[in-house]
Amino acid sequence: MKNAIETKNLTKVYNNNFTAVNSLNLEIPDKTIFGMLGPNGAGKTTTIKMLTCLIQPTSGQATVGGYDVQKNPDEVRNLLGMVPQQVSLYKDLTVMENSQMCADYYGVPQDERDSRIEDLMELVDIKYAKDKRVGQLSGGQKQKASLVASLVHRPDILFLDEPTIGLDPTTKRTLWDLIRELNDNGHTIILCSHDMHEVDMLCDNVGIINTGNLVAYDTPQGLKDALLESNKLEMTEALSKISEENDDSASTMEDLEKLSMKRMSILLNDNNEDVIDSLKQSDDVKNIEIARNGRINIRIDSFDDMAVQNVLNTINASGGIVKSIFTEEPSLEDVFIKSTAEVNEDDRA
Amino acid sequence: MIEPKKFWWMIKKELISLKRHPARLVSILAFPIIMILLFGYGMGGEMTDLPIVVVSQSHGDLTDLTLDTIKTTETYHVVEVMDSLSDAKERVDTGEVKAAIILPSDYDDDSTQQKGVTLYLDSSDQMAAQILESSTQGIFYRLSNVVASQTSVSTKSADIDESVMHSLSNFKDDISLHINRIYGNIKYIDFLVPAILGMTIMMSCMMGMGATIAGERETGELARLFMTPTSVSTVIGGKIAAKLLIELVRALILIFMAVLLFNVSIKGGFLQTFIVLVIGALCFVGFGIMLSARTQTQEDYAQISLPFSMPMMFVSGVFYPIETMPWILQKLAYVFPLTYLNDAMRGIMLKGQTLGDVWLDLVVLLGFTLLFFIIGVKRFNRDV
Repeated sequence: MKNAIETKNLTKVYNNNFTAVNSLNLEIPDKTIFGMLGPNGAGKTTTIKMLTCLIQPTSGQATVGGYDVQKNPDEVRNLLGMVPQQVSLYKDLTVMENSQMCADYYGVPQDERDSRIEDLMELVDIKYAKDKRVGQLSGGQKQKASLVASLVHRPDILFLDEPTIGLDPTTKRTLWDLIRELNDNGHTIILCSHDMHEVDMLCDNVGIINTGNLVAYDTPQGLKDALLESNKLEMTEALSKISEENDDSASTMEDLEKLSMKRMSILLNDNNEDVIDSLKQSDDVKNIEIARNGRINIRIDSFDDMAVQNVLNTINASGGIVKSIFTEEPSLEDVFIKSTAEVNEDDRA
Repeated sequence: MIEPKKFWWMIKKELISLKRHPARLVSILAFPIIMILLFGYGMGGEMTDLPIVVVSQSHGDLTDLTLDTIKTTETYHVVEVMDSLSDAKERVDTGEVKAAIILPSDYDDDSTQQKGVTLYLDSSDQMAAQILESSTQGIFYRLSNVVASQTSVSTKSADIDESVMHSLSNFKDDISLHINRIYGNIKYIDFLVPAILGMTIMMSCMMGMGATIAGERETGELARLFMTPTSVSTVIGGKIAAKLLIELVRALILIFMAVLLFNVSIKGGFLQTFIVLVIGALCFVGFGIMLSARTQTQEDYAQISLPFSMPMMFVSGVFYPIETMPWILQKLAYVFPLTYLNDAMRGIMLKGQTLGDVWLDLVVLLGFTLLFFIIGVKRFNRDV
């Protein structure tokens, strides 16, 4: 699969000697949705600015759709669309006028311009407000209008910077559907977001940038699996530390517990004492508490593949009927926190 | 390369914005009117009807003639003609009137060769004092001519703070002075208006470019334009074209209002005045672009432009001739483009010169314009 975006040792050092991006090597496959994560000030915005030809890299190379951002900026600009976090359309112009203006700035043929805009408006469902001024629109409508203006030149690659921030859940879901639809239509999408659920759900690949470096890159599931593996490794190390150095201090035990346990939450038809007693006696249940809402929260061994099944068997054997169940798995947020924390610790060291 | 369609969008966008914001449109139209009224009436008007009292301690033809002359002179508003010297002085001391003209008791006495008239003057009001002094000198100079064959009159002025009296020279008509005003009788308002036009254009161009460039950089609209395959010069060119169009309308209103309200004569013709203003507007738009090339917010722009626009306003000979300023300010004046715009405007409007006559001013202005644009476009970064 060819890459929509490739960077090789891409570096940006600002005038005040601040290195915002440090030898970034990144590959974003064509026609995929890529999630760009990173804490504030990590270098995401600078990376996007370099890729969208707003600023020049200090060193290294970046290609977008095969074009070098420094040598062929106009070709790159023609391939890109950008939906910024802050809606940057002219507030006094209508949705239609803003879109027409963008189309003319991209050199869209006149005979196609208005029909293209109308089609896009239908796609994002904003046609009903086409003659409204952007300043009069709601947050969600503005984002949709921004999308139309950004897509009017049919860009291969679309940058979305926090596209759903501040939107209500319904509008958020509409935009998510739209992002998937755009990707199905062949657009490569680069999504910058702090909403881990959004990134987890939409993206094919995720890259975590911190202090100007790419600190993690994989599919969302790959990253979570890697975290689980890493936790396992850490636990093994901690256990060996306990046996070798006889260090069973409270903090070591606490860390160990965090790594080794995962939460399981069960809602039964009836919390009868038989079920609770049998769960308390089960070897798989490390800890049990009954929440006010009636859910039974228990802790089980993270790395025991049979633990969940064993708990269910115990409930079944005591005559309990399970209405709802969920287990806590490592989330993308856990991956994010761990990846960025490790770098910060390295920096401090 | 500059693309006309993109250019046109910038103009169209500005016009649509104005159409949809009537308040903004009113402000654009009202600004020049307010400026011309403020400076024209506030600063350009002549001082008339200054309150005075006259102390007349004599009776006769000369006294009557003198009182008539004083009463009919526009500069004075004679509050009272009185006998008591001390009362008159008290009224000046308390600030009730600006001066007392004191005619001596022997004023009508033909045998007296030297008639000492005293001007008891409130010199704390420097502007009024200056005008009263010269006006009174003028009156008694004329009166002394009338009675020169019989007698002569002299005036004395007194400073109320220092109570120092000094004799003014004895007027005689031995030397006759013929004043040949080569550009006619020019009032201060005539001197002021051309520069007020220039200054207004300077202020609105510089403020306007801040809103256009720094403001749009701040709100992100500029970023969207720069993400399109469009050159910096096209984006800036479009902004300039839009701004210039509005400024030209403003310049037309300014000239129209100046003529309407102050009956200012435009000796060099309307078209030439307009062309000079357009060149001036272009220059200050360029100045604004140069300053806004790297400013990130409108507030930054305001802070950066103020140290340029304020001194320019006072140093470039808008209110006083440059030659009357300290030498350091005189040198500084020639660094500011407004000086050249003012000079050209006065040349055309007051002296009736042609564009050819003020070519040097125009070349300097165009030179500044070119310099500002080159620096502006070179320094301009797409980073938003």
